[in-house]
Amino acid sequence: MKDLKHLFYFENLLQEANNELVQQAKKEGKLAIGYTCFHMPEVLLNVDNCFSLRMRAPRTGSLEIATYYMSNYTCEYCRALLERAVEGGYNFLDGIAAVDACAQMNRSMENILVQKLIPGDKFFMSHVDVPYKVTEHGVEHQAEQIRTKVFKKLEENYGVDTSDDAIRKAVEEHNKICRIITEIGEYRKEENPRITGYEFHILNLVTYVCPKYLILDRLQETLEEIRNREPDEKKNYRARVVIAGSEIDDPDFTKLVEEAGALVVADRFCFGSFPGRQEIHIGEEEDALKAVCRRYMEDSQCARYMSHEKIQARRDFVRKLYEDYHADGIIYEQLKFCDYWGYERALVSHIMQEEYELPVLSVDRPYRVGSSGQMRTRIQAFVERMEIKKIQNQRGGALHG
Amino acid sequence: MDKKIEELLEKGKELKTQGSEILKKEKKTVSRAFHAWKDMDHHKGDVHTGELTTAFREWRGVKDTAYDFAKWLQVWGDMSLMIMKNPVGSVKGLWKYRWFSSYLQTPMFIDAQLTGLRGPQLRIAREHMRMIVRFCTRLLENTFKADENLNGPNALSDKIVLFDEMMPIHIMAGFPNLIGMPSQMAPVYITSLLDQQMQVHYLDETENYGLPADVCPLPSAEAGCGIAGDYPIFGKCYITSSMPCDGSVMTNIFQDRYFKLPTYPLTLPVRYLDEQAVDYAVEEIKGMIRFIEENTGETFDWDAYFEAMERYNKETEYEQEKWDVNQTAYPQITGSILAIYRELSYMADAGRDPRFLKTDERVNKIMMKAYREKNPCAKEMRHRAVVWSCPAHYYANFGNWAEQCWGIDVLIDMESMMSMKFINTEDKEESLKDIAWTYERMAMRKHTNGGYANVLDELWKVCEEFHADMVIMYSHISCKTMAGLQGLFDDQARERGIRFIWVEHDLMDPRTVSRRHMRESVNRYMRTVMHEEPVDPSLEDFDDEKEW
Repeated sequence: MKDLKHLFYFENLLQEANNELVQQAKKEGKLAIGYTCFHMPEVLLNVDNCFSLRMRAPRTGSLEIATYYMSNYTCEYCRALLERAVEGGYNFLDGIAAVDACAQMNRSMENILVQKLIPGDKFFMSHVDVPYKVTEHGVEHQAEQIRTKVFKKLEENYGVDTSDDAIRKAVEEHNKICRIITEIGEYRKEENPRITGYEFHILNLVTYVCPKYLILDRLQETLEEIRNREPDEKKNYRARVVIAGSEIDDPDFTKLVEEAGALVVADRFCFGSFPGRQEIHIGEEEDALKAVCRRYMEDSQCARYMSHEKIQARRDFVRKLYEDYHADGIIYEQLKFCDYWGYERALVSHIMQEEYELPVLSVDRPYRVGSSGQMRTRIQAFVERMEIKKIQNQRGGALHG
Repeated sequence: MDKKIEELLEKGKELKTQGSEILKKEKKTVSRAFHAWKDMDHHKGDVHTGELTTAFREWRGVKDTAYDFAKWLQVWGDMSLMIMKNPVGSVKGLWKYRWFSSYLQTPMFIDAQLTGLRGPQLRIAREHMRMIVRFCTRLLENTFKADENLNGPNALSDKIVLFDEMMPIHIMAGFPNLIGMPSQMAPVYITSLLDQQMQVHYLDETENYGLPADVCPLPSAEAGCGIAGDYPIFGKCYITSSMPCDGSVMTNIFQDRYFKLPTYPLTLPVRYLDEQAVDYAVEEIKGMIRFIEENTGETFDWDAYFEAMERYNKETEYEQEKWDVNQTAYPQITGSILAIYRELSYMADAGRDPRFLKTDERVNKIMMKAYREKNPCAKEMRHRAVVWSCPAHYYANFGNWAEQCWGIDVLIDMESMMSMKFINTEDKEESLKDIAWTYERMAMRKHTNGGYANVLDELWKVCEEFHADMVIMYSHISCKTMAGLQGLFDDQARERGIRFIWVEHDLMDPRTVSRRHMRESVNRYMRTVMHEEPVDPSLEDFDDEKEW
């Protein structure tokens, strides 16, 4: 396939948290609000003159200082953020809308706070409480938490308009991005998709880490390009996979999977498009803040949700992706030391395999995985397994000899 | 002939001499053994290796030894009574569940907690332990009577509301016709204290299943027990909870599959200090009550609930007095007893069983008398210590060891410091707010949830209150909540000049960090940093890796 015109540009944007578009927006007087987790509704951080930025630590090297503060038994993503903060890599942020959803990320943020690693008199950090199940009083609780811990700070420190109208406007802008990403993502359903998982990962990731108004044109142009793109005649993959699990902000992981022969057709992981890039609709009469909170809670696929309905819904959701995107298997991945996905991966990989009879690869991985030979070997073996299963199915039974 | 007679007489004399020598030797041996027994103070290490516990009991002077022996018999009596009440069920349970045999080690577990204790300390510890044993025997009694694995569907099972063991059980006081039972307490929690090897099997079960080995062994073992099919089956419905940590949240997905009961997850706010979080918490509690009513057909009985909460409040008062006394120059309850008892009375009973209050009354009487008489709580009190973070279940008597070996008196530990709020017993709405407050501050959660200040700043405050000069800081290597603050603890301890001993452990997995390794952390610090000699050198190093 012909290379996408802006792909290299987008790839470069992902090399720094404080990339050129972030710097441009800051120069234009915009406020950069960092966040780390889907539990903090991204769209609410794009009200008025704010722009959201999902925190990453690209090109992470040594984690020595963060390891001193957080031990070597904690999630590398959390430690990488702390290490980058120690290096001064987030000094451009005007606030961090953190959530107390997972203990390790919470500690990472608290280390940044206690050590005063990000300067600025007006800089603030919130610790929003997040319910473990979806109920009406839970929605009200989360809305109240955001109102008092995030919006109040934005208003008091920076004079930001957080009104109902401002939220609705932010939702409109958010939906423009969602429509583009969704349409691009739909092409992954094709038998010979005109977009690779890696390309999609780059495009989607850019929407999380750049001011949306500055990437909209290039994304639109890319969508046009993909609409008219001709896929290679011969398929470039041996099997199709859904990736499900914890945080992945490293497109090299997707690249590694695809180099091993598995095309990534659906991305159900934190920083992925399921959920996160679906349009939000708010009724005329609804309280916009509550409506957004409800939507995020309902859409969330986080393993932290512990009601029976949500537990079952997570499994059904992945199975549906498997079916809708004509996948041959599922890769359940977990960032090493992540308690939530450690449990979920262990149990659900059994359920998917033994009860749903779907091929599953269950792996844990470090924060930066690009050069892992071990991971490559496991994925190659999985691809072979899926191929054998396909041949078995074509022959109508098990292979013997 | 004469010669022969002479030879025989000579041989007879020889044998007589040999016999008297043997007799002398024997006398010496008996005498040595008797003295060793009397001087057990200098051989306490042997108690922990199992060398002496099965042979004879610790010598504590005539009066204390006799008292201790009688109480030891009482423990066997309580256990035998439980078996006699349901002999068939108990035998079936022994065959069906591998964890049940661990309870045979109860008397030895208690001995380990009591090593070196004399006078009031011995009596206080024995009072606490008696109540713990009686609580456990009742728990097991109900378990084997109601277990559908052993008895099939039965009426008792239908009266049981199952609770996650990490969930305080106060609310069940409002359902006097029902029995609230913590699901994992008998198979996992208590056996992990009794027998350091017990949970290894369940941890292997979960790890073989695919769960990473880096997660906390408590929820991991809970999941493993489910995978192994080792939970008794009973109950009408199940209350799970998000307390106290991420691991506890996630082990619920395993319990959800295992128990297959209608389930209500009680999910209280993590940021519990926020004023606006109270309404949400109260709604959650109300939802739980409604759920139990709907699933059992019972109605919440406010009178019964208030009556139990009055008892609970009195127990809380007594707990406060223990802390008050320990803050003085004459602390009376040191070591691990404080936490073990408090965990059961607060979490698993919560005012429902009047026997806990009676125990508190007796303990208070002994404690206050000893305090007035300025009784020293240990042979040698060198350091006043606070224990922070969660302790190793497989080394529950670590505090006792630190006191006996190095004169480090553990005055308070994080596990004991749960909510001390009195529950309103008149106003229903206010009472539910108090319950929410109390639940939010359950064991561990009070400190590890709600922001770093609750565990970091709180430690320095507690050190001041208890006039502590030393902190034994458990580094439970799988506890990511605590690990995330390890550098800040170190930095701030240095700034404050507090002696900080890091003791690594892995909660329920002695293979990762052994008891001996835990002791070495303290030994090393005391010798190299403090330049001290042990109070009892026999306790400094011994091998107990294969012991209970």
